[in-house]
Amino acid sequence: MGLIENKLPDNIFTTTLDNVINWGRRSSMWPVTFGLACCAIEMMACGAAKYDLDRFGIIFRASPRQADVMIVAGTVTRKMAPVVRKVYDQMPAPKWVIAMGACATSGGIFNTYSTVQGVDDVIPVDFYIPGCPPRPEALYDALLALQEKIKKEKVVRA
Amino acid sequence: MNFDEIFAKLQGDVSSDISKQVQFGCNFILSNKDNFKNIIKYLKEVFDFEYLVDVVGIHWPEHKNTPFEVVYNLYSIKNKIRVFVKVFIPDEKIETISDLYKAALFLEREQYDLVGVKFIGHPDLRRILMPEFFDKHPLRKDFNLKDRSWYNDVDEQNLGIKYKHL
Amino acid sequence: MDEKTINDSGKFGDILTINMGPQHPSTHGVLRLILDIDGETIVNATPDIGYLHRGVEKLAENRMYHQFIPLTDRLDYLASLSNNLAYCLAVEKFFDLKIPERANYLRVIFAELARISSHLLWLASHALDMGAMTVFLYCFRERELLLDLFEIATGQRMTSSWIRVGGIRADIPDEFINKAYEFIEIFSEKIKDYEGLLSKNRIWLQRTKGIGILTKEDALNYGASGPIMRGSGIKFDIRKFEPYCIYDKMDFEIPSFEDGDVYSRYLVRIEEMKQSNRIVKQALDELPEGPVMTDDPRVGIPSHEEVNERMESLIRRFYLMSKGFTPPRGDVYSSIESTKGELGFYIVSDGTEKPYRLKIRAPSFVNLGIVPLISKGHMIADMVSIIGSIDIVLGEIDR
Repeated sequence: MGLIENKLPDNIFTTTLDNVINWGRRSSMWPVTFGLACCAIEMMACGAAKYDLDRFGIIFRASPRQADVMIVAGTVTRKMAPVVRKVYDQMPAPKWVIAMGACATSGGIFNTYSTVQGVDDVIPVDFYIPGCPPRPEALYDALLALQEKIKKEKVVRA
Repeated sequence: MNFDEIFAKLQGDVSSDISKQVQFGCNFILSNKDNFKNIIKYLKEVFDFEYLVDVVGIHWPEHKNTPFEVVYNLYSIKNKIRVFVKVFIPDEKIETISDLYKAALFLEREQYDLVGVKFIGHPDLRRILMPEFFDKHPLRKDFNLKDRSWYNDVDEQNLGIKYKHL
Repeated sequence: MDEKTINDSGKFGDILTINMGPQHPSTHGVLRLILDIDGETIVNATPDIGYLHRGVEKLAENRMYHQFIPLTDRLDYLASLSNNLAYCLAVEKFFDLKIPERANYLRVIFAELARISSHLLWLASHALDMGAMTVFLYCFRERELLLDLFEIATGQRMTSSWIRVGGIRADIPDEFINKAYEFIEIFSEKIKDYEGLLSKNRIWLQRTKGIGILTKEDALNYGASGPIMRGSGIKFDIRKFEPYCIYDKMDFEIPSFEDGDVYSRYLVRIEEMKQSNRIVKQALDELPEGPVMTDDPRVGIPSHEEVNERMESLIRRFYLMSKGFTPPRGDVYSSIESTKGELGFYIVSDGTEKPYRLKIRAPSFVNLGIVPLISKGHMIADMVSIIGSIDIVLGEIDR
């Protein structure tokens, strides 16, 4: 904490509890690694060297039990849908869902017998990202928008 | 070793009831249901067609006598030649070649799942891509591309999912 | 988990069935494995696939020939340009087309760049599964350079649909050539870094040497192709055996190693990246000038410039785009050496503008068949290394 170290001795700050909780939640969103198809590769690219999600405090977590954001990256098929739901159910509340790409949003170009036409049939979705696959910047936009959304949530005062 | 020599030997040694066809640079051997396996076996043992590339099942509803076709794609690395063995079958049953090539274990299961050709003698003929409870064959011509009516038939994990966008 | 075996498992030798995937960080997508284990040792592994079955083959029967090209991008999404190429070569076989020389060179350049990008992603995720974080970051750094290259030429990072029937979509912009040379320079240096990090690393050796051994006979019998086949000592590569585009003019070698374990498959892919780099350099050096789309009236789509100038071109473009083209009746098969192995398209035409049946010979699908065989007797942790070494892409397996 180089910037404010020893600069503010013995001070008291006042804020609302909501602010503190939301600050904590939005500054350490841990998405579950839920790569399904092509979009998962762009999601990996987001986490890797050039784009680097870690600087937002976003670290991919393999276990749904310790994650609070689910990025549905790819096509959800009828065979996969119960699994998506099961992973979502395992995540502790509060949890948010981002549908990444055209397939997760609406089935995309796969209007076929085996593709679920939008993951919102299975789980509630907070943000939809268009694109096939979306660029990493687009995923960024959704994650930053999600941070804004969390900022406005009411936790203690309903 | 070229295709004509292979075909001539096949005709002499295995069966005279076969014909050949060269189409767009691909070598086809047309055979019937009874001796196609002998042909593949002969190709494998005599001409070193040791690499089974693919098994393709095709549904022809307008062919009244032979509504299904199976094409075996074989390659001989030693002779650098590719040969296709084409079999038209009157019903959906055909003998497996998974005892000759282990690759057929997966490839035949896939064709069973999608086209509905039954490979007799296959040790584990189950669905491979579609869920177990699905009872149709999507690559048949009478199956509609957008047929999602089966989505709500089974709730396999008891999660209470209701699909709305069918 | 099987309740009964857990309750009874007081004594040694009981078989326990556990589930790995489809949501698992190291199954590279939505692969599910059902493992029968005895303690920590795998007795039997059964792959369960289909979690990404999107019905591409059925979609093909309902699309015109050129409308199917975007769908090929999403099969093996790590090397979408290779898929475009394989499909277009198959359709072109119907017409016996003469592809302009420049288009052929560009096709090869992009297929090989796609191979590098796919192998880089394989190395990144394979190494990450084994705990080597640095390699992951390094590989993605170079992969981003490649994606930038793709973006300059094709306008898309991954799913570009750039190779069309009869040629390619549009010529490359001028700055591409220099950027590509730059990449070759950088990459031939950086690949030494990966080797330095892994090839003699003791942890890496212990986790890859002697793991998942596939013999020559089994590799053939199971139809495994690509780097897996070559890792088991079979020198087979379609680029040499059935040359397409301009591979017969290129000077390159087929790497192959005899051991058949995870390590030799790793060596094959590293060597392949170097060879691809070589091919790209040769093709760039010899890149001829000229058109990039065939002028054959049956399939050749006129460029925008022509359309703006000539009425006939406008009509032809409109006609080809709205009504498609009709190949003669018959069956055709064409395959290329994709990054994972032999990628083939078997197309049955009934003389209409849509394929009657299209079967994709997906290399990953067939390669996955060896998993039950080569994982027997290994530890669960080795399973991760085995899956990584066969380099599967679920989009291609399930289609």
